[in-house]
Amino acid sequence: MWRIAIAMLLGDKPKYLALVCGLAFAVLLISQQCAIFMGLLIRSTGPLQNVRQADLWVTDPAIKWISETRNLAESDLQRIRSVPGVLWAEPFFTGRAAADLPSGATRIVNLIGIDRTTMVGQPPLVTAGRLEDLRIEGGVLVEESSRAKLDNVSIGDTLKLNDKRAVVVGYCQAKPGFDSPAVVYTTFANAITFQPLGRNTVPYILVKVKPEVGVEAVRASINALPGVKALTWSELNAITIRFILIETGIGINFFITVLLGLVVGLAVSGAIFYQFTMENARAYAVLKAMGTKNWKLIGMVLIQAAWVGLIGYGIGVGLTGLFTLQSRRPGTELAALFPWQLLVGAFVGMIACISVGSFLSLQKVLRLEPGVVFK
Amino acid sequence: MILPHANPDPASTVRLPETAVSLRGVTKAFGSGNLTVHALRGIDLDLAAGQLVMLVGPSGCGKTTLVSVISGVLDADAGQCKLFGVDWKSLSGEQKTARRAELVGFVFQSFNLLAPLSAWQNVAVPLIIRGMSQAQAKGPACDALAAVGLGDRTEARPSQLSGGMQQRVAIARALVGKPRLLVCDEPTAALDAKTGQTVMDLILAASKRVDDQGRGCCVIVVTHDNRIFHYADRIEEMEDGRFKEAPADFIIAEARHHT
Ligand SMILES: Nc1ncnc2c1ncn2[C@@H]1O[C@H](COP(=O)(O)OP(=O)(O)O)[C@@H](O)[C@H]1O
Ligand SMILES: [Mg+2]
Repeated sequence: MWRIAIAMLLGDKPKYLALVCGLAFAVLLISQQCAIFMGLLIRSTGPLQNVRQADLWVTDPAIKWISETRNLAESDLQRIRSVPGVLWAEPFFTGRAAADLPSGATRIVNLIGIDRTTMVGQPPLVTAGRLEDLRIEGGVLVEESSRAKLDNVSIGDTLKLNDKRAVVVGYCQAKPGFDSPAVVYTTFANAITFQPLGRNTVPYILVKVKPEVGVEAVRASINALPGVKALTWSELNAITIRFILIETGIGINFFITVLLGLVVGLAVSGAIFYQFTMENARAYAVLKAMGTKNWKLIGMVLIQAAWVGLIGYGIGVGLTGLFTLQSRRPGTELAALFPWQLLVGAFVGMIACISVGSFLSLQKVLRLEPGVVFK
Repeated sequence: MILPHANPDPASTVRLPETAVSLRGVTKAFGSGNLTVHALRGIDLDLAAGQLVMLVGPSGCGKTTLVSVISGVLDADAGQCKLFGVDWKSLSGEQKTARRAELVGFVFQSFNLLAPLSAWQNVAVPLIIRGMSQAQAKGPACDALAAVGLGDRTEARPSQLSGGMQQRVAIARALVGKPRLLVCDEPTAALDAKTGQTVMDLILAASKRVDDQGRGCCVIVVTHDNRIFHYADRIEEMEDGRFKEAPADFIIAEARHHT
């Protein structure tokens, strides 16, 4: 019977194509929006993913997310270092600076400053030049994918960061942040000369805990101090994602788009599929009169739904996959992430889309009076 | 009302023909209140296997309703409606469906072929309904098409066939499962006279066929078409949900006289 069901489906080319396209579009909309959304979320935690050496990130309790916190004073560094169980504690700078480029253009960059002796918080990969050269006055490493945004500056070029002279000593690779700014590494000492900030200059203090004491104990001791808050990597990650998700309104916007995709998919595919069944009502009635059992008719409808659903799903996630691959190419501004959970999610969305049409169709088919065949 | 030519084999006249259809006091109404239509108002009818019976009468007199009830497609409101000894009322929905698949073949005025399927695939449907695979059903389906003279058109779609050919495909489909009851509702109404004759020849042949156990097929033909009355072994005339009192034999006699 399933061959007959598929033959019926393929026998109506326009509806068949409309069904497949509608479902593919819905799945594409759902999965692609989710992929971009997750890509953005992950990107927002990019600066965090670059730094894995520390057990705790200490900052002001008023922190909003990784890129928005109040600076601590340099004296806090001593306070943290004297907490029992702290193996080391080093300042970590992250902030914005205006870069004047050789061409005369200006560009806001994300300036990251790491401790000049321990180099804690260093970029994941130095691709040209030497990390140690950061110690040169005004020395900076330019993140590779950011070079294009900075007039393709080369090693030895100078530019101005907040009107202070900086010299490019090398290139590195690191993940950019939420709004994909150009990323420039320097030492903490250089960073605060580029960025005079008054008394408080330390956005984060990175802390390594003595293994015999344990992260929890040290975190509790630090949090007992006034004016500072210690966060684990995952806590800071969660705070950042929560902020982007809720405070920026991005979450709700993506949610609405995904919902729209679902509604379009449900409505379009549901309506077309139901209409398709209506037009084939006579064929179903004939089959019923000739003695086809109800469960076989149900099977026919479900096979048709599954057929268009799976093809639409394949096209939809396929297109999203291509889009995601495209977003992996270096230098693109697209952010997309396509984990297997998304495949499952889009599959569930597709099932939701076709189940409405199938449900309506089954109502129709099961209620069909076989007597209509004589009409 | 069984006419002489109904049993050409003298041996079989010794055996009483098997009762295929037995109706007692069957009624059927549609709608309710002022709008109630009494389509069947108490029908008594016995039909034997191996007969070609025609149901005639004006449009709306209940012919289609009657064959629907006989073939188990529609439930009667009251009365007894037995097909080969089993009352449809005693069966569940699924049992009725299974019994239709096993016993009944249908030929409709509007052919009712499945447009996306080829001729042989259409003919194979009743076999597939009974659980055969398409591959298993292909042979018998093509044989049935050959028997209606369409052995060379097995791959054609219904849209590529003339009306007469489509009705022959429908007859092949109705007969492929060797039904014991063949119900034909106005099978020639959409066809010209000559094609109608061809189709009726095939239907008549079906009524003369006996299966390997020597059992005949009961054929009911609903029709308006007086050009085909002479094919009947027996004619029942209906009016307003009832059979007319006077036997309709003279219609046949007259029809035979003219051909
Ligand atoms: N499903 C139905 N609903 C309502 N009325 C019906 C239905 N089927 C048949 N009828 C009515 O029952 C009467 C008999 O119909 P039918 O058996 O189709 O007549 P015939 O086949 O002799 O032309 C007609 O008046 C018709 O309008
Ligand atoms: Mg009728």
